[in-house]
Amino acid sequence: MAAPRPRSVKDMARLGRPPLRFGDDPLLLASWLYYEEGLTQSEIADQLGASRPTVNAYLADARSSGIVNISISAPRLRALSIARAIEEHFGIDDCLVVPGEGGERSIFDRLGGAGALAVKSVIHSGDIIGISWGRTMLALANAVRDIHVIDVTVVQSTGGTTAAINYTPEACATRLAERLNASFVPISAPAIVSSPEAKRMLEREPVIAEQLQNLQRLDRIFFGVSSLRPSSTIYNSGFFDSHLQQVYAGAVGSMLGRIIDAQGNEVDGPLRDRTIGLDLDQLRKVPTRVLIAGGYDKVPPILAALHGGAVTTLVTDVATAEGILRADGVAVEKIGVRRASATPARSDLLRSRIKKFLNSPKDAVNEALEGAFAAFPDHIEPIDGSPRAIRARAAKPAGKVGVVIGGGAGHEPSFLGFVGPGLADAVAVGNVFASPPPDRVLACTRDAHRGAGVLYVYGNYTGDVMNFDMAADLAGAEGIEVRTVLTSDDIASAAHDDRAARRGTAGNVFVFKIAGAASARMYGLAECERLARKANDACHTIGVAMESCSMPDTQRPSFKIGEDDMEFGVGVHGEPGVTRVPIESADRIVDQICDRIFAEMQPRPGDRVAVLVNSLGGTPMMELLILNRRLRKRLEAREIAVHSTLVGHYCTSLDMIGASITLMKLDDELTGLLDDPCDGFAWSFSGRRPS
Amino acid sequence: MSSIDSAFLIAVFRRAADRLEAERQALCALDGEIGDGDHGTSMANGFAAINDHLRGMARQEATPAAVLRDAASTFLAEVGATVGPLYATAFLHGARLLEAGDLDRQQIGRLVVAMADGIKARGQAELGDKTMIDVWYPAGHAAIAAAAEGGSPAEVARALRMAAEQARETTVTMIAARGRASRLKERSLGHLDPGGASAAIILAAIADTLASAA
Repeated sequence: MAAPRPRSVKDMARLGRPPLRFGDDPLLLASWLYYEEGLTQSEIADQLGASRPTVNAYLADARSSGIVNISISAPRLRALSIARAIEEHFGIDDCLVVPGEGGERSIFDRLGGAGALAVKSVIHSGDIIGISWGRTMLALANAVRDIHVIDVTVVQSTGGTTAAINYTPEACATRLAERLNASFVPISAPAIVSSPEAKRMLEREPVIAEQLQNLQRLDRIFFGVSSLRPSSTIYNSGFFDSHLQQVYAGAVGSMLGRIIDAQGNEVDGPLRDRTIGLDLDQLRKVPTRVLIAGGYDKVPPILAALHGGAVTTLVTDVATAEGILRADGVAVEKIGVRRASATPARSDLLRSRIKKFLNSPKDAVNEALEGAFAAFPDHIEPIDGSPRAIRARAAKPAGKVGVVIGGGAGHEPSFLGFVGPGLADAVAVGNVFASPPPDRVLACTRDAHRGAGVLYVYGNYTGDVMNFDMAADLAGAEGIEVRTVLTSDDIASAAHDDRAARRGTAGNVFVFKIAGAASARMYGLAECERLARKANDACHTIGVAMESCSMPDTQRPSFKIGEDDMEFGVGVHGEPGVTRVPIESADRIVDQICDRIFAEMQPRPGDRVAVLVNSLGGTPMMELLILNRRLRKRLEAREIAVHSTLVGHYCTSLDMIGASITLMKLDDELTGLLDDPCDGFAWSFSGRRPS
Repeated sequence: MSSIDSAFLIAVFRRAADRLEAERQALCALDGEIGDGDHGTSMANGFAAINDHLRGMARQEATPAAVLRDAASTFLAEVGATVGPLYATAFLHGARLLEAGDLDRQQIGRLVVAMADGIKARGQAELGDKTMIDVWYPAGHAAIAAAAEGGSPAEVARALRMAAEQARETTVTMIAARGRASRLKERSLGHLDPGGASAAIILAAIADTLASAA
């Protein structure tokens, strides 16, 4: 507001302003009419019977007294400042960053829309313009409208590609030419030809030579980059395949059909002398070079293009922009008008060494196991003297399916606490947070095999899957049939439609119980597998960490969580969670967990669940009980019945301060198995018969 | 021209074991940022175990392929984890290549690529997924290219080492698509891949052994 700073309302009251009809608060009325009703200051002055300068003063005072708060949405500001950060950091002329999430539109359409704005601001009548190809380029051409220029020429920047895609070089260039009422120059040759000789021959053809001449005279070029991933434009265009990817090791992407390295230089390789179109030296001579690209997979090629001087203007989206800066070592959290969710971590000096009861870190796992054998001699014993392959002491009848579990150490009492009657038969133990190797799993498999095959139940982690699969192959070669159920109860770790990618966390415990009960009932291998899978599908877990854990080897926090933050969606390996959010009260944290779990589990009134409130290691029972209190309220509000509750240390992450909540949705079948007796040192239960 | 023999491989393992031990904490710290913090432990313990095993092996009698096979089983039994099967398979693929015939030391790049093939076959990662193969392949191909241009062992070694270092830095710009770090999605940007970092250490040990033997 450009008006001179007015006198305050109180001064005016003393000057004998006309009486007002809206209570005693003219500021609110004026503000309402101005901001909500959209009246002009003169119209408001008429309505209030006041002068226009008076209305102006009301509005200014409404701002300063806090009646009116004007805020520009933070992501927009951030988008703006992040764009400036990119301009400064990479020394380019201009950067446009598409803010926000963008709702329904695809990233290509959003970038294309922003790219069209860039087109509008950089082109002039008489320009010769080049455009590359790809989904973003076609979206850009489609988004161009209302640009009034004359005598513009659009040149296809490379030869043609397979017509299997609809965003070919020709399609993108003709569309842009149509939208600009420009003349169009094609390149009447393929972008990639079969040999260097073919390239030389074609380039000497008079028609093609004339077309290519235009590329020397470009004023502006609009281009994209492609990653080298199998879904990328360069793959879809038929230029590139996994064989070439091996040959081009060290390449990070492509632009204009040229394979580039991290410095933005063309990588020497079989395609180099077979590509027809604008080359990268020619590109760098074009006065205005607008790169339009977004998506995380494009961060390496965008960075390469920026480092290689290929870009004068960048159009991208906020997430990619942040990625680019972060990948280039710029602290993104410092940019923007307010901090992102996380407070910056304090200096390392504040918390360095975590005190632990250790002799030597490398002996920690074996010494802990020796202590466990001493403590629970009725439950567990080593197989063939190896402390890392452990069996239940109880006798296992012939014809019983063997249940073998396992994983890294550091989750105590998982997993060895769940070995015993009605639970697992044997457990393989790895190093801290590291899968046991195949030979140990094989030793467990042989020991648990009673002629009916063996069921593996373990968490869905890359390392465990490789080692257990190798063991299963070895067991198969010995004639032992092995089936595998991967636990994947952590619903924060991947989306619902990607359930197979989720990791297994505390829900493990329920799956062990169901599998063990099924095997104790002497069900066959296929039936045990089905029930374990069903139990896993019924389990929903979310973990929250307040502080990172620390490994025996380092005795330092594995990662840092800001003083006022927590990690939402952590697993059980001390790895960072899915999002970092400000810390909240216990009840609000439970609410967030319940909201996520309910959204996925879709419980109905009358449903029954088993509950596990699990410490991640460093959180005491008292706090677990506080969590359980709120959890019960939320369940009651939904009329969900709690069949049974476990509270305590079940599947931990060393000394991590944090907790997880698991709900297992029960039907009669699962309830029956859950109610069978079991006897592991971490879960001993005499059973409950239906009344 | 000398070939890649047992003595050469044993020297490589000794060098790699020393350096991984020296970097144990640093690798754990890198892994803590985007993984579960055990990478330094697995790598240092695993290579130490290989080294111990090879020390006890009558080296003059063992073929280089046998050295790699023993390294595979020793490493796997010691560490398990994710790197256990990956490096064990790498060594087995390397052993297969050496069984097919002697390999000149200048041809070290072929051994490196064979090992990378093993890692890729076991882990199913693609290039660009921010894993150790993003370091193994570029290094191997650089060494092959240097040898093809008639480079001396020292020049091949330099190409191998430089490509490994550069590729390791490139992992910073990638988004993890495999392993635990993949849960972090874009939060893995800006972090070195710990598997890539340890790969560069091993590759530097190979390069330095090559250069010092020449």
